[in-house]
Amino acid sequence: MSSSTTLTINMQQPLTGRTAQTWRRNQNTVRYQLTSGLGPISHTVLIAVMLCILGLIYLTQITKTSAYGYQINDLKNKQQKLVDQKRDLEVESARLQALERVKNSDVAKAMTTPTETDYAQN
Amino acid sequence: MNLSLLRQSRSRTLVLAMCAIGAIFVVRLFYLQVIQHGYYDNEAMKEHTSKFTLPAQRGEIYAKDGSDNITPLVLNEASYTVYADPRYVTDANKTADTLRRIAGGNVVDNFEGGLQNKNLQYTVLARQISQQQADLLNAAQLPGVGMQEQDRRVYPEGSLAAQVLGYVNGDGQGQYGIEQAMDSDLAGKPGLLKAVTDVRGIPLSVGGNNVQESAQDGKNIVLSVDRNVQNYVEQALKDGLDKVHAKHGSVIVMDPTTGKVMAMANLPTFDPDKYYEQSDYTAFQNAVVSDPYEAGSVIKAFTMAAGLNEGAVKPDTTYNNTGSVQVGDATIRNVLQTVNGTRNMMEVFEYSLNTGAVFVLQQLGGGTIDAQARQKLFGYFTGHYMFGQKTGIEQAGESGGEIIPPDQAEGNDVRYANMTFGQGMSNTMVQIASAFSAMINGGTYYKPTVVDGYANSDGTETTKAPQIGKTGIIRPDIARELNDMMHTARGLSIRGQDKPGYYVAGKTGTAQVIDPKTGAYTDKNAIGSYLGFGGNSNTTPRYVIMVRVTDAQVSDAATAGNASAAPISANISNWLLDYLHVSPK
Repeated sequence: MSSSTTLTINMQQPLTGRTAQTWRRNQNTVRYQLTSGLGPISHTVLIAVMLCILGLIYLTQITKTSAYGYQINDLKNKQQKLVDQKRDLEVESARLQALERVKNSDVAKAMTTPTETDYAQN
Repeated sequence: MNLSLLRQSRSRTLVLAMCAIGAIFVVRLFYLQVIQHGYYDNEAMKEHTSKFTLPAQRGEIYAKDGSDNITPLVLNEASYTVYADPRYVTDANKTADTLRRIAGGNVVDNFEGGLQNKNLQYTVLARQISQQQADLLNAAQLPGVGMQEQDRRVYPEGSLAAQVLGYVNGDGQGQYGIEQAMDSDLAGKPGLLKAVTDVRGIPLSVGGNNVQESAQDGKNIVLSVDRNVQNYVEQALKDGLDKVHAKHGSVIVMDPTTGKVMAMANLPTFDPDKYYEQSDYTAFQNAVVSDPYEAGSVIKAFTMAAGLNEGAVKPDTTYNNTGSVQVGDATIRNVLQTVNGTRNMMEVFEYSLNTGAVFVLQQLGGGTIDAQARQKLFGYFTGHYMFGQKTGIEQAGESGGEIIPPDQAEGNDVRYANMTFGQGMSNTMVQIASAFSAMINGGTYYKPTVVDGYANSDGTETTKAPQIGKTGIIRPDIARELNDMMHTARGLSIRGQDKPGYYVAGKTGTAQVIDPKTGAYTDKNAIGSYLGFGGNSNTTPRYVIMVRVTDAQVSDAATAGNASAAPISANISNWLLDYLHVSPK
């Protein structure tokens, strides 16, 4: 990186505004102007660094997306497992309520046939 | 020689050569990257992406449980097949011991041999292990052992309604029953996932070309079969067959006002969970829909209905019963030879008089069996009662039966005289029960069905409306007359079997069987049938029952219908009157 200082001598430069009020006539004025710039190598390095940063950002995003993919896959597996468990429980519930099981239960065995049935008339 | 010129020339040549080579590269790269872009892009995608089939869950099957509830008959359960790559199995003995301990009876025969064989890359160790067993095996972390998940059908009610259901084979295809008949509805449609994967084949959510089509699960079907009725019918059929030392029989119970089947049972039956153990394949078939037979005297009800509807006879029309009638070169006899004399049409039912049924046919022809009589009877059988054609019920392997047209040589007078009492023609039980329902309900033919509707995910049901096949089968007043005739005849011929106070009616049938040795009908064996209905009046039938017993061992084969099928029907009928809360008349 390099820098340079430029000395500017302004001879009889027309002055305006408040500065003009403080300077006298025929007075030489001197002004230092600092012009700071980048050289070609610096430019190249800067661009390379910026490209690297952009690349890293891109890679981070891509990795994140991939990580989401694994997360989604993992969640899907968990969901499937829960669905399977739900189905297993439904099957178990249906087996417990199966007619043959109900018929052979103690409650059913204790039941008796009614001797007479009356029907309500509408 | 001017060296500078020469030097200049070489440089130029080199530059030109390099430019040419560069141009070749540029052209080639342009060709590969621009012109062939699509091709190579596609090839690259093929390398990076994988296709996965997303399996659709097969639809479940439910039965009615009373009038409002539904209960599962067929569900799906996750099961696993355990396999191994023996090359990566470090300790075969330990693996085998662990498998025996966890998988138990699910291990395949000689799985130890497969584990020891290092030349194999894949060997199945156990099938259909449960989720719990799979979790235990996972926890054991056996090297070289893997598992593959698949669904399997489970039957909480065991073999209840087995032939109505059918089963699903190892390839996931429905076989027999509703599983085959509605296979496409039940199977659903598999989905597709096309995605970029990592080296382990796990789909990644990168790339804009991922494709996901969700799987469409199969429909959950609710049968019109009521599990309580089905259970009672199966038990009643078994008890009834045991009493007459028979092994084969069938029953159908139908709602005559909708055509919906409430129960359909056959013996012998099978366990759909272990269908592969069944050696007698006829047990898979639902004989009610797939086995046409000569139904015998139950067909007299249909002949009589045709005669009444055509005005050819009335309930009080009489004829002189001589015990037999000559038709062409054949003599048709009654089973009962002790009731000769003047008989009316109700008594044709009461004594099951073949001569009376032939008399009705004669009246359809104006007093004699002729082409007009045959054509009229044929018209009723095929055009009104829908005999000789499939009903379209949602069951695999349905048969249409056979009715010989009168314009064929075989459709002669003798055949049509025999057809009036159910011989010389074949019907399935579902055909007969559906046509009988149409007759007794006042003349509306409902297409028989075993599907009541579809189960929703919230446990409710979307009910399917009954399908009317034809109206005006017979006139409503004729239906009432016919019902009264059958009700009276049953009261006189089958006494003491029915629950008092109800309107129960029906007709027995005994069909002779053709002896395969002689090709003629034999009296040694017969198929007994019963066709009836119950309710509390001649206009409010609540159910139709048809029973068939194929091989009853009874003292008199000629009365097989009375002795074997009628008691089964009465048993079911009396129970149904209570179950359906039918109030007495």
